[in-house]
Amino acid sequence: MRPALAIGVVELRRFFRDRSNIFFVFIFPLLLVLVIGLQFGENSSQGRVAVAGDGSALRTAVVDELEADDVTVTFDDADDVREQLARGRSDVGLFVSDRAARAFDEGENVRIEIVTAAQSGSQATVQDVRAAVRAVGVEQSQVTALTTAGLDEEAAQDALARARETIQPPEVSVSNVDELAQEFSGVGQFDVGAAQQTLLFVFLISLAGSATLIQARREGVVARTLAAPVSAAQVIAGQVLGRFVIAMLQGGYIMAASSLLFGVAWGNIALALLILSMFCVVAAAAAMVIGSVMDNDSAASGVGVGTGLVLAGLGGSMLPLELFPDGMRTIADFTPHAWGYEAFAEIQRHGAGLVDILPSIGVLAAMAAVLLALGSWLLRRSLARAL
Amino acid sequence: MSADTVPDESTRVPDAGDDVLVVRSLVRRFGGITAVDDVSFRIGQGETYGLLGPNGAGKTTTISMVAGLIRADSGATLVNGREMGPDRVDVKHHIGLVPQNLAIYPDLTGRENLRYFGRLQRLGREALDRRVDEVLELIGLTDRAGDLTKEYSGGMKRRLNIGIGLLHQPRLLILDEPTVGVDPQSRHAILESVEALSVEGMAVLYTTHYMEEAERLCDRIGIIDEGRIQAEGSRDELVRLTGGVDHIRLNGSGDIDVAADALRELPEVEQVDADRRTLYLTVRDAPTAVARIVTSATRAGLSLTDVEITRPDLESVFLHLTGKALRD
Ligand SMILES: Nc1ncnc2c1ncn2[C@@H]1O[C@H](COP(=O)(O)OP(=O)(O)OP(=O)(O)O)[C@@H](O)[C@H]1O
Ligand SMILES: [Mg+2]
Repeated sequence: MRPALAIGVVELRRFFRDRSNIFFVFIFPLLLVLVIGLQFGENSSQGRVAVAGDGSALRTAVVDELEADDVTVTFDDADDVREQLARGRSDVGLFVSDRAARAFDEGENVRIEIVTAAQSGSQATVQDVRAAVRAVGVEQSQVTALTTAGLDEEAAQDALARARETIQPPEVSVSNVDELAQEFSGVGQFDVGAAQQTLLFVFLISLAGSATLIQARREGVVARTLAAPVSAAQVIAGQVLGRFVIAMLQGGYIMAASSLLFGVAWGNIALALLILSMFCVVAAAAAMVIGSVMDNDSAASGVGVGTGLVLAGLGGSMLPLELFPDGMRTIADFTPHAWGYEAFAEIQRHGAGLVDILPSIGVLAAMAAVLLALGSWLLRRSLARAL
Repeated sequence: MSADTVPDESTRVPDAGDDVLVVRSLVRRFGGITAVDDVSFRIGQGETYGLLGPNGAGKTTTISMVAGLIRADSGATLVNGREMGPDRVDVKHHIGLVPQNLAIYPDLTGRENLRYFGRLQRLGREALDRRVDEVLELIGLTDRAGDLTKEYSGGMKRRLNIGIGLLHQPRLLILDEPTVGVDPQSRHAILESVEALSVEGMAVLYTTHYMEEAERLCDRIGIIDEGRIQAEGSRDELVRLTGGVDHIRLNGSGDIDVAADALRELPEVEQVDADRRTLYLTVRDAPTAVARIVTSATRAGLSLTDVEITRPDLESVFLHLTGKALRD
């Protein structure tokens, strides 16, 4: 297998000699992880509430409660709040009128208007807001009760604060009935994007690399390699090996860097590497298919990048699979990306073990086997054309 | 495990003799065209054999079969007495191929290219280091070994292309038009190194469509056209095929016809043609005959202004055999 190794090493050397690869392999993917993470991150916080109304004791009390619950609160006038809701920038709008503020100060009945946005996830935020408002209401009624019983207001507040410290209030946990929100609850801001970009770039870099195989064939180096004591099988093994190592480096790099820079959790690292390497074999074999079928290297780069992006899109490496309508979800299963995505999701979000991801690994292995056989046959055929 | 552990002798074909290369009745078709049509020749140790022919004659196709890159439709190739073919990985070690089209990685340095192909030849670490340095020295690229080959001049790339074929010191070196597109100086250097190799005992198969190269380098030459070897032999043997005659042209003033008649009397002169001021003579052994011819012509009253001797070369042999010029 020494010749195969020599061929693989040369492919690697050539890959890293191309300076433009450095940006695409090392910088670009992380930028995407960052951008996607930032968007995903805002969506997945405990909700965004836009508050309208002038500063008042009521507003301060409710906002304090909400922020204690990790809800993001913004202040605006009533019109802007409605606009934000319409655009989906906020989940819930809270309208604290002057009357309500006065009623609150005087310990009377308070009405606060809540408007929710249409998007999924806002129901959970509504729950948060209700809980917060209720908590404020309870506290205010307690203060009122104590002052009517003769305490001055300051003493009443004091007594309540002491009571809060000694008696643990019942924990109100807002449980989310939205499946989607459940799936992503507890998932780090960058976790999904990092898994998506790993799959996308591994495949993209492999397919785009199919051009180097065409160049080698056209330049006659492949023919010359075969004039040496090297069998066609060794040439094929060397080509796959080279592409595989490049793919592994790409994937491993994104995994390591995203974990270091963005704290992405990959779950069981051995299983993560198993998924990655199986996916890399599929990618390397796919590259060999393109590099053998096509004879024009710049066209192959284009086709490689195009195919890489389309498969990534179809396979959940752009929009998460969970957001796919049913029909698209079925189509996704024809891409290796979808199986890689599912497997990563299992170990990243649900602490899955080997048995849980075995089906995904199995499908990837089958895809790899088919593509390897096809690629070998096509490459063998193309070698006869190489002259 | 690897096929190159198979002992040489077991697969030796008995009637191969001592020839390094035996090519027997090779045929190869591409669709409707028969690119190589019943080609046979042999090359002994230390011998340089030339395939001389115009574009499309079938030189590269022949070489591709000899190097085991493509399969022959029929016929056989024996290298060192063992049959060659695309699957004969073990036999390939004995040949070094220098393809017509530069087969080097442009994005690797000269040294990296040599090391890569050296590894494919299974040279051990030490042998590889040593041979790469030796070959770099030989092809005069030691100073540029660390540069990417895409920055090399055409001649430097050609030299590297040859160097790769020499790395593992093969028994048979195959060079397919190695001097195409190089300047006269590089060309001279290439020819010199090929001469040196055959002195060392390497068998060389050399294709070209430059007759000067074939004349200078090759012990024997096969003239190939339209896939067939039209004639084969040493330069002198081939030249004799044209009838072994030389041409002498005489220019002068006087009675041309009288001079022509006088010259026809000479035994060395086979044929005389005349126009107004010029005589065209076909003679045997022009260098010896020319003195008597000049004397006779002068005696017949011709005052000569110009005498030119033309001896046949491979170009005229090719013309004689095929009725067309070697270069179109
Ligand atoms: N792969 C191929 N497919 C189809 N036809 C081919 C192929 N290779 C060679 N031929 C044809 O075979 C004939 C011989 O070609 P070949 O390359 O052997 O000639 P050559 O003597 O090397 O010419 P040149 O001096 O131009 O290199 C030509 O007519 C060529 O078109
Ligand atoms: Mg040729």
